[in-house]
Amino acid sequence: MVPARATMVILDPADNVGVALADIGVGEAGRSLDGRAVEALEPIPQAHKIALVDIAAGAEIVRFGVPVGVAKAPIAKGRLAHVHNVASRVLNNDEDNYE
Amino acid sequence: MNSPDIAPSARMRGYVRADRRKGVRNYLVVAYLVECAHHVARKIAAPFEDEGVQLIGFPGCYPSDYAERVMAAMATHPNVGAALLVSLGCEEFHRAKLKSAVEASGRPVALLTIQQAGGTAGAIEEGRAWVKEQLPRLRAAPTAPLTFADLVVGLKCGGSDGLSGVTINPAVGRAVDWLIDEGATVMFEETCELVGCETHMARRARTPELAEALRDAVLKADAYHRDLGHGSFGGGNIKHGLSTLEEKSLGAYAKSGSRPIDGLLKPGVLPPRPGLYLMDTVNDGPVRFGIPNINDTQTIVEMVASGCQLIVFTTGAGSVVGQAIAPVVKGVSNTRVFERMEGDMDVNGGTIADGVESVEDVGRRIVAAIEKTAAGLPTKSEALGHQEFVLSYKTYEPLGPACLPG
Repeated sequence: MVPARATMVILDPADNVGVALADIGVGEAGRSLDGRAVEALEPIPQAHKIALVDIAAGAEIVRFGVPVGVAKAPIAKGRLAHVHNVASRVLNNDEDNYE
Repeated sequence: MNSPDIAPSARMRGYVRADRRKGVRNYLVVAYLVECAHHVARKIAAPFEDEGVQLIGFPGCYPSDYAERVMAAMATHPNVGAALLVSLGCEEFHRAKLKSAVEASGRPVALLTIQQAGGTAGAIEEGRAWVKEQLPRLRAAPTAPLTFADLVVGLKCGGSDGLSGVTINPAVGRAVDWLIDEGATVMFEETCELVGCETHMARRARTPELAEALRDAVLKADAYHRDLGHGSFGGGNIKHGLSTLEEKSLGAYAKSGSRPIDGLLKPGVLPPRPGLYLMDTVNDGPVRFGIPNINDTQTIVEMVASGCQLIVFTTGAGSVVGQAIAPVVKGVSNTRVFERMEGDMDVNGGTIADGVESVEDVGRRIVAAIEKTAAGLPTKSEALGHQEFVLSYKTYEPLGPACLPG
């Protein structure tokens, strides 16, 4: 049987988020090359991050083994980790906008 | 990287200049020295836009050592064979000094002053006549073979997304390792987008003093943007999956590959020898004149001012920019944008996310794209006529002694 295509990448074993390689729909599994799978509780668009474990408020978001931000609120396993629940430790632009 | 499938570099050819640097293009630049001369300069260049006549300029009327340094570097750049300077006549730019610098480099140069050439119409006529006279000689100029050791390549990303740091930027990193091993000179940039990477970067420095200088450059950028109240993150980055500046930095840093870092440059300073360099893109001193680099193009201009003959530019959201003097090879991080904007993209790195190609494969294709560009073939943005250029006010102190270890 041909294994299902990887739809997320875990860049370092220490990471608590995976990066979606393709759009992952609700209820679908984010699947990494090494066979880890996490069910998406909400849509995870390509290039966005999915929580691999339950992340507590105040905990670091770790990508590629490097802290890249802090959880502003608890992020459940399978949820989208993004600007609504992740803050920079360096710089947060108040006036950011995009359409 | 094992690269037996990369064709021998015999096909790359360039123009050997009096200072021994080699150009991959032989452009005539029309340079306005104040915004008031921009229209005339554009009208002079317009009929020749497909014949290697490129428009650059500085809009400010007040004096600027930085802008004058960059303009001189542009007019004597290895990709430039002749320069027409277009002055209104009353701006504060040191136009005679710029003209002398171009003359001293052995290039044909003319200074056209609108106020003395009968105004707009007279200046356009006189300027076009000069350009017409120069073009046949530029076209007939001899070329010599180039090797990768003759190349100075600048790395830039713009409109990065969450996959940039997974696909195209690591592929650029592999290509950079290979280029460095072949004796090329490579520079990466945007110290304000390396926040969080300074410790790792310092470990790659050739000397402990340089390590300190690299760290200081990033800390300076961080402090400057903190005072300014806005950093290089937002808009499209967020829309395309990046959540913080640190996350964006990590992806951008991947472009620099894994080789040791040989020095720290400031705009207009030429790398003294082959190797890998960081360009310090943020003002020295307190916040002055506002945002250091108002867009991607200004950073590219600064690397070109330090001698880059070509630029490798990666994007996630889909940037389309080129550059007036250095051809831009464009790589994209995801297949969705590649398919939507294939006409603008030279290399698709999205194949890595699709499980079709490896980082190594895409790295090889980037080197091949560089080789084709240096062989004279137009990149996508060049063929589309892109020739972005921008310059604004900045202040820099001279480089410290630790920045370019001997």
